[in-house]
This record gives sequence, structure tokens and C-alpha cells, in this order.
Amino acid sequence: MRGEGANDPAVKGRYSGMIDARQRVTGRIGYTIDLAFGGMLHAKLLRSTAAHARIRSIDVSRAREVPGVVAVLTGADLASRSDLQPYFGPVYRDQPILAIDKVRFVGDPVAAVAAVDLDAAREALALIDVEYEELPAVFTLDAALAEGAPLVHEGPPRTGETFADVIVKPQEGTNICNSFRLRKGDVEIGFAEADEIFEDVFTSPPVQHVPLETHACIASVVNGQITVWSSTQIPFVIRSQLAEIFRLPQSKVRVIIPTLGGGYGAKCYPKIEPVTAALSLVTRRPVRLHLTREEEFVTITKHGVRVRLKTALKKDGTIVARQSLCHFNTGAYADIGPRLIKNGGYGTAGPHRIPHVAVDSYAVYSNLPPAGAFRGYGISQAAWAYETQMDMIAERMGIDPLELRMKNLLDDGDTVMTGEPMEDSHFKELLADATNWIGWSPGAQPERNGSTVRAKGFSCIIKGTVTPSTSTAAAKLNEDGSLDVLTSSVEMGQGLLTALAILGGEPLGIDVDKVNVSTPDTDVTPYDQQSSSSRSTYAMGTAVQRAVREIRRKLFDHASEILEVSVDDLELDDGRVVVKGVPERSLGFGEIVRKSRSGNLVGEATYITEGGLDPETGQGIGSVHWHQAAAAAEVEVDTDTGKVTLLRYHAGVYAGRIINPVQAELQSVGNVAFGVGQALFEEMHFDNGQLQNGNLGDYMIASFEDLPRDLNVSVLEYLPADEIHGIGETGLPPVMPAIGNAIARATGVRIVDLPITPEKILRGLRELDARGSAAEEVASR
Amino acid sequence: MTFSTGQAAGASPLPVDEDGKLTLTLTVNGRTERVTARAHHTILQVLRDELNLYGVREGCGVGMCGACTVLLDGKPVSGCLLLAPMAVGREITTIEGLETPDGELHVVQQSFVDHTGFQCSYCTPGFILATKALLEEKPDVTEDEARTYLAGNLCRCGSYVKIMDSVLDARDRLAAGTGPTTSGSDEQ
Repeated sequence: MRGEGANDPAVKGRYSGMIDARQRVTGRIGYTIDLAFGGMLHAKLLRSTAAHARIRSIDVSRAREVPGVVAVLTGADLASRSDLQPYFGPVYRDQPILAIDKVRFVGDPVAAVAAVDLDAAREALALIDVEYEELPAVFTLDAALAEGAPLVHEGPPRTGETFADVIVKPQEGTNICNSFRLRKGDVEIGFAEADEIFEDVFTSPPVQHVPLETHACIASVVNGQITVWSSTQIPFVIRSQLAEIFRLPQSKVRVIIPTLGGGYGAKCYPKIEPVTAALSLVTRRPVRLHLTREEEFVTITKHGVRVRLKTALKKDGTIVARQSLCHFNTGAYADIGPRLIKNGGYGTAGPHRIPHVAVDSYAVYSNLPPAGAFRGYGISQAAWAYETQMDMIAERMGIDPLELRMKNLLDDGDTVMTGEPMEDSHFKELLADATNWIGWSPGAQPERNGSTVRAKGFSCIIKGTVTPSTSTAAAKLNEDGSLDVLTSSVEMGQGLLTALAILGGEPLGIDVDKVNVSTPDTDVTPYDQQSSSSRSTYAMGTAVQRAVREIRRKLFDHASEILEVSVDDLELDDGRVVVKGVPERSLGFGEIVRKSRSGNLVGEATYITEGGLDPETGQGIGSVHWHQAAAAAEVEVDTDTGKVTLLRYHAGVYAGRIINPVQAELQSVGNVAFGVGQALFEEMHFDNGQLQNGNLGDYMIASFEDLPRDLNVSVLEYLPADEIHGIGETGLPPVMPAIGNAIARATGVRIVDLPITPEKILRGLRELDARGSAAEEVASR
Repeated sequence: MTFSTGQAAGASPLPVDEDGKLTLTLTVNGRTERVTARAHHTILQVLRDELNLYGVREGCGVGMCGACTVLLDGKPVSGCLLLAPMAVGREITTIEGLETPDGELHVVQQSFVDHTGFQCSYCTPGFILATKALLEEKPDVTEDEARTYLAGNLCRCGSYVKIMDSVLDARDRLAAGTGPTTSGSDEQ
């Protein structure tokens, strides 16, 4: 189970580990929930029991009387204040801090209590009386899209500042909150040229991120200055949104982020910060809110998605056109759904050379909990569709599925779906490695043994990273030659602080143990767009290296003055600036800082990626570079019980350059663990909008027993490309189709709706049996 | 009002103060600690809020994830399910109790460091305490047995491969009697 990434001779000798390992094994790493302040109050939220309803009345009088209760807030209280505007959201400002006039999902926060302890806050919640007037609700895509469907949000959306790449096209009077359109070539021409056209529909259900640390926030509002400590991946959006809500300059809002106990996209964008700050505003005391696991389940989810693919091919298996229609159920509030449909939409074209592509992708409101960023960011749902369909097409056309993919995978110079030329492509190499490792042989029959049957499957995917994007960094070289790196990138277990320490030390040859990397504090650390999209090591890493190179220039300038030689005659050697050819004339870094009387040497830098897509055609630059992964799986299915055992798995991912071998391996295995759950059992079940399995007793996540015994991680490195590719998410989208394709090959049952549960397999086997006996009956007549 | 602890029948009831709190004497990491807690408070709450032991963490609140694991008389239990009064008279060990007073890590901790058996590490104290109990119970544990034993501890980052490397290496080090080493990670 050892990864090739860590064992490759090329990476031996590199730093491999985590710089804060000791704090992590002693329990002293310090999460948001470990902080406490004098006079701090504890908050609880009362949540809606109705999926869609007008709030007739809320009576909080008995709750206010509970000893220890300091404040009880409702949406109406907030709406009546002139010192704040009570709506937030990263694209639309459609989410009230607390429900105003109506509730939109079971779990929508309706009232908030701040009390001296949690017992008092809980007691108060139980004494709040809410009278609802139920409204017709929509839960499914079909219901939400139906003519005359009840509207989750009425009237034009409240818009505001958002990300540069977001294009907003709401359809007022419907539940469609945004749409994305891509037109490359002309699919009608492609369909006319084609010999075969296949149309299939695939679905993925909502699932939850389940970070073991649920959302936590402490807010303190003092003298017109807000400070929040929050478990978030996105400090500067929290800052700008709090500034907007509380009508303050951004400089009066300070966001501090301790390390996170997992994020996986759940902690992108404001969630509980606005209500925690509002409670602190009215109580003038620090307030702490830490969600329960049950609350976390209804705070944010992965989008439930339906993808209809129409793929056209020549007889020889060359794809000539693909049309896709994608509907993302974004729940009651848009969150980042209006942007995610772009990635999930263009993503359906896959890593294939397709001359004619048309994509229409929609974010659809419903009365379910909000859906937003989730590891994979729409690409998991897209890849589930296209990589499952590739196997279905191969079977229907009688072509080996590996040959079909190899014929169509992108090479350098081919145009990707968003119109830019592919560079640094490794799809074929990744897929060849994966299929070699699993031992793929064309035409191989499933191996039967009693009631069990074994077979193999594979997949290959493409994923973009948010483009354009901006990261800024600062660094300080101290008078002892040690280095401080200041950034607002968030450590959430992905090893970002370690990666930045390695990259920051590199331009000067400073050891990792002499580099300190900050955690975000918006009063001090410079801007970063977001710690998501597998971008931080690449984008912030580049900014940090540029900042340290600026320090190197300053070091040389000072050394040239002190040593009275030209800068051109200086070089770096083993932590010193040395006169070329005269090794005895040299200065240590700290010596230069001291002799120049600089105090410290400061460097700062910005890294901006350029790109973006045309709003009508979806053509332009979709991603600054393309992330690539392939997978292969061997499963065993018990045809009596439907139980699936994942026996062997190969995870292949392209990393450009590996920064921290053990972390590269850890993230890759993490993607497999995430994907196994989504492939086989993870699904949020709703009954009339009420979540049925919102706890870890009823909702399973992968444990030791779910990982394959034989797991091979291969992190592909290609140093000549001189680039870092993020791998935080890249290995996840291939997991579900690789496993699904293996199950279909083993059983003959093709499941198109995730997850692939034993029930679905048994139902499929029964249908096959019934069809088989019917055919025999006809034959025997 | 009085409240009986989980101690043997005949133990005297504990008095409750005006704030509804009991005064409990607990043994935590070998130290005697006096705390106040309401009868329904869990040991998880008390360890964190009263004793500032933040290595014990709530993950699910229903005893399914193992993030709040503590050792009770050496056996792993879910801190979120154990009412604080029930712990009176028992030995409680948290992750903070594993280091020696001069800061030397326990063998299991050192193995997790050397193999980077974690990512976000929220689950790590639970895994380390469960592993310590496992290796005391069964010093020659096999990988299969360890997988089953540790299946009640969840790691959402999915660091399972490196966790198992850490567990098996700790087993081997304890068997060899070599104790902690700081030779660095096996990848270096």
C-alpha cells in the first residue's frame, strides 16, 4: 500500500512530513473550538421544522426569561435595525442571517439565543414558539422546474460584489437561479456526421462533507470593530461580507483562522459568522457558536445533480459531438451554486478531444438545505456521467473501453472544451499506468466463484482550478537568518503550512525548520482569494516564492554595498552570500540584515492568473492549467446479497512537481476514502424535506473496513513542466465511475444513479434474471 | 437534590449546589482534579470546559466517530456518551497524559509523527489512545485485527494507510522494546 510518489528515487531526500506534527499528536494544535474569552457567551440556533412556510409569529418572551439568557434574536429584529443589512451570500445576497418572513428548508435558522452557558441556551430554544403557515414546497429538480412551481425566492435577486469569473444570469419568476452555456463548434453538424448517437441520464445525490470539526465561530464586536475567529477556508470573503452586513469599512473587520479540523469545501463562504457577529453586536460580549453534527448536515451539502449526455461517435469510436444538459439542485440558498454549475457544466465534456460541444447547466433552487462547494466542485457529478457513459458506449459499440478512451483522450495541442489548447497532458500515461497496474485485458470475463463475481473498471478525468485568481504573500528575513512567511491561506489538514515552508525556504536555501508560516489574520496577513479548488500550493506557493526572491535581491544589494563588489559578482552558497571565486569573502543572511540595519528584509509579491469565459459561448480560458487523474478498481460482488467489496484500487494523479511526498500520498488516499463512500453508500435521504439520516449513526462515512487491502497511489511527477498541480481534489472524481464500471462488468447491472447500493444491484440482477427467463421462454416456444 | 454516581451501590449521593452542579473529584492523567458539573454533563464537556484538555473533541455526539475517545481504566470509551459523574473513582487518560513530564512522546505518538498518520488531525488523539489500548491488550496484533479494532475511529481526511503504518510500527517498536525514536519519517 505504499505510494510510488514517496518511494520514487527522484523524491528521496526531500522534506516529507508535517511541520506541526508534534502539536497534532499531542492534541495541542488548537482549533477554533479550543478558544475561550472572558465573558464569552454560548449561542444556539432555533431551526425551522417546516420546509417552506410563512412565519406568522415568533414568541420569544418565555425564552428571554430563562436565567442566564442574555439575548434572543429573530430575523425581524435584524431586519428592523438600521445599522446592518441582514442578507449574505457569495454571489446573491439571498440568505438572511435569520429567517425573515419565511423559511425555506427544514433546518433554516429562525432564532438565535446567546446565554452564559449551553444549558441555558438550550432551555431557551425549547421555549420559543413559532407559528408557521405552510407553503407548497419543491424538493426534486422536476418539481422545482415544473411550470407554475412554487418559488423558493420571489422577485429579482439581490446581487453584490462577487468573484471575477462568476457570470450571473438568473431567470426571474422561476426557480432557476443561474445558468451556464458553452458552445464549441456546432453539435448539430457533429450529430449529422456521426454514425452512432447515445443518450443517457445520470444522477448523483446530495451528500455531506462531514468535517469532523463542525463549523465553529467566535465573534467579538467592540467599538465598531468586529473580530471573528472562524473555522473557514475563505478569510477575505468572510471579511468583505461582514463589512457589507454591518456597514463597516473592511479594515474594521478582522478574521482570524486557527487550523481547521477538515474542510472539503464545506467551510467555503459565510455560514455562521454573520449570526455569531450579530449576537455579539447586541450583547456586547464575545459569542461562541459551534454547530452540532445534526446542524452541520443541514448547513451545506454536495449538489444533487442530473446530467443528460448525448454523445455522437464515428464507427471507429472517434467522438464527434457531445451535448449535455445539467441540473444542479442548489437547495434553498444559492451559496456558490451559481459558479459551481460552470465547472460542473463544462466538466461534462471530459478529457476528450471533441470538436462539437454544447453544454447547458443550471442551478435550481429547492426547499432542501443549501448545496455548495464540495471537494471535486461539480467535476465528480460530471465525471460520474461521462466516464460511466464511456463504458456503456464501448459495450454497445463492441469496442474495448480502454481503446475507446485512448482514441479520444486529449493530447498536447488539442483544444479543450473551453477552447484553449491543451498543454502538459498526461491523460494517456495516467490511464495506461492505471490499467497496467490493475491488469486490464480486453475482453476478459468476470471471475465467478460461488455467489461472488470479480471484475475490473477504470476511469480518467480532467479538472480545472478557479481562474482567474489572486494570491498575495509577504515574507520577512530576520536578523538571525530565519524566515517568516505571511499568507492568508488556510491550513485544513492538507499540509499547506508545510508546503509553503518548503517553497518559501527554497529560493534562499533556508531549512524548513527555520521557516515560520502564519495562519490567516486579515489585520496582518495579505490577501488570498480562497483556500479551495486545489489552488493553494500552486498559487500561493508561487506568490511566496516571488516574495522570497525579492528578499534575495535585497540581500544581494546590501551585500554588494557591504562587501563593495558588484551584485553580478555575488552568489548564494549554503546559506551565505559569497563573492564568486573568493569563498572567504562572504556574509551570512542574518549578518547582512544586521549590518544593513534593516531590522528585517521584507519581500512581497502577488500572483494573478488570467482567464475567464465568454458568457454566451463558454469559450476562453477555463483554467490556468488542467488537473488530471486516472483510476482503476477491482471489485468483488456477492450476487446473493449485493454486497460490494473493493479489492484493489490504483489512484493515479498528475502533480507537476511534488512538494511534500507524504502529503501527496495522504491527499490521494483521502480522495479514495471520500470516493468509496460516494460510490457505494453515501446519500442524504429526505422525506418531504426532512433529512432522515443526519447523524453519524445513520449516515456512514468510510472507515478502515471500506478501503481496499491493495491500494496503490501513484503521484506522477514531470519536472520539465516546472509547474505545481494541485492534487487536493483531483483523485476524487475518477473513484465513483471506476468502481461503477467494475461493478457493471462483474454483474451486468449498470447503475446510473449513485450510490451503488446492494439494493440497487439486487434489483438489477433480478431484472436481468427476469429478462433471461423471458428470453428462454420465447426461445423454447 | 442528590445524584448517585455510577459507583458501587451504597456510595453516598453527591450534593448539588444552587446552580444545579455537582462537585466531582476525578482522576485525570494521574492527577486528582476537582470540578463542578451538572448531572447530564459528559466527561467530554468537563475535560474540555473545566480542565482545558482540548485533545478530546466532539465529532458526532453519538459515540460513532471516536474523536472524543478517552481511556477509562485503560479502555477506550466515547467521552460524548460517558456522563461525568460516572467517571468518579476511575482513571481517566487523555492524549495530554501520554507524554512524559519532560516532553518525550509515547511510542504510539512518535510512530504517528514518523509516518504522518494524520491530515487535519482532529481524529488523531482518538486513534492514538485506541491504538495504545489495542497494543496493551494485544501486543502482537495483526493488521486485520487492527483494522477491525480501529473501525470505530473515523478519519474523514482518509489518512487510513498512514495510520495503519503508524499502528504497526508502534507495535513493532514496543515488541522490540526500542521505545520512541526520532529517526525521522520512513520516507526520508
